[in-house]
Amino acid sequence: MKSLDPRVNRLPTLSREITTKVPLDQLGTYEVFVQAKENKPFQHEGIVHASDIELAFVLAKETFTRRFTCVSIFVTDTRDVYVSALTEGTVNAYDTLPPYTPNANNILENYLIFHLLKRGKQHVLAGKVTASTPQEAMLKGKENLQDGKPVFNVWAIRESAIRHTQPEEMVLWKTLPDKKYRDASDYKAGDKLTRFLAQRKNEIL
Amino acid sequence: MYGGGNTFEAIRTDSLAQEDPEKLAAFEAKIERGEKIEPTDWMPALYRKQLIRMIEQHAHSEIIGALPEGTWITRAPGFKRKLSLMAKVQDEVGHAQLLYSAAETLGKTREQMIDDLLSGKSKYSNIFNYPAFTWADSCFISWLVDAGAIVNQLANAKGSYGPYCRALERICAEESFHLKYGHHCVIFLATGTDKQRQMFQEAINRWWAPMMHFFGPSDKISAHTEILMKWKVKMGTNDDMRNQFLDMYVPKIWELGFTLPDPNLKKNPTTNKWEYTEPDWEEFKRVINGEGPCNKERIEVRRIAEERGRWVREALKAPQAAYVTPLA
Ligand SMILES: [Fe+2]
Ligand SMILES: [Fe+2]
Ligand SMILES: [Fe+2]
Repeated sequence: MKSLDPRVNRLPTLSREITTKVPLDQLGTYEVFVQAKENKPFQHEGIVHASDIELAFVLAKETFTRRFTCVSIFVTDTRDVYVSALTEGTVNAYDTLPPYTPNANNILENYLIFHLLKRGKQHVLAGKVTASTPQEAMLKGKENLQDGKPVFNVWAIRESAIRHTQPEEMVLWKTLPDKKYRDASDYKAGDKLTRFLAQRKNEIL
Repeated sequence: MYGGGNTFEAIRTDSLAQEDPEKLAAFEAKIERGEKIEPTDWMPALYRKQLIRMIEQHAHSEIIGALPEGTWITRAPGFKRKLSLMAKVQDEVGHAQLLYSAAETLGKTREQMIDDLLSGKSKYSNIFNYPAFTWADSCFISWLVDAGAIVNQLANAKGSYGPYCRALERICAEESFHLKYGHHCVIFLATGTDKQRQMFQEAINRWWAPMMHFFGPSDKISAHTEILMKWKVKMGTNDDMRNQFLDMYVPKIWELGFTLPDPNLKKNPTTNKWEYTEPDWEEFKRVINGEGPCNKERIEVRRIAEERGRWVREALKAPQAAYVTPLA
């Protein structure tokens, strides 16, 4: 290859012509939740692909919290999110749950319940319940976590399937003052421009 | 960047005859009311296909767009500029991540999208098939190509598909840093030595034609996309977007004392629209179809990255992880 970029010119030539990726080397899918401020609830922001939940956590931090305020994130395998029907209009997703009778002998676990309160927006953490299955967790959410507004979609996630931010990791989001170059506010050139324009005006006159 | 200059083929609407008319009417009414469509909602096959195509092109444009600018990181003038450009390029690659994820919610795997980029089946923004000769070219990209992209992305953020809109909201917030950084770089060149001013003028001369191409073929000759406008997949015509860009940035370029290489460029005071020499759409087509100065290099760099990264992916492969379609 003949490039303007010396680094490109130094690249090795390929031993074979690659036009397709090796089949199925894609990684797993993990859902990412972000807490922007101390007193705000976690909200769903998107996904990353990773080989395991630890790498997913690292990639989530890079992808979703480089620029925005953040105090904490967590990730979970997409397969660990139990999802209700998505409704619209005046239909409450909680009213579409299939009938379910929990087995009283099952072991109880914590579940996080997420609500979609406005279609088009993100799922937001509504609270925590204890249940033996995600179905039961949703029923408990229906009883305890609604505040009158219709819920268009409910997610239930077993807390043990979640990779939380550990207290000692909170420093990840303490941006150093010398990293201001990542903010638009660090690029003030107004004075320089004003001086230049005034000078140009003089020259033209 | 770089949600711009999407190429749309002529849309064949015959598949709509196979859709359930009642569901189709409800779908269109929902969009008309300004509501968003979510991945598990009913949607016509044509809507899904066109959205995948558009979001995927946008994602490819972000990673390919990182290449001409990435070239300049090591040669950016000074430590601070290197840090800034590195942060910007990292953002662009991050944008690709967000956009691939949004496209994946429609059912195309990321693997398939990368395959289609490598094989040339999927396109990306044409402008990245041109080389960045000097530092000034890199400044032109950061300020003006990003500005063009922002015009498109702000419009598309009001579109109908929820996951794409949400990705774009995050992207637009980050773009404000790119725009400010790019403008800052250009002001430094513009207020610098004669040599620096000349460098930027030459960059403008090189990039103006690709910049005009960026918004896609003129409405007079471009494929009919009324149905995509109705479904809020496409949020404005190519000429509208181009006009918006010219309106916002031509005065800023002129203010700095630079010229634009088009003697016919002026705003018509009666129509309030910009007039310009019709861009060379034959050149645009040639470049899209692989004949641009850097098409081969861009794809080759991606292929080499794919090949050289293979052992990493293999080493990481864990049996318990599985690809599944993202939720939202
Ligand atoms: Fe971008
Ligand atoms: Fe950008
Ligand atoms: Fe950009």
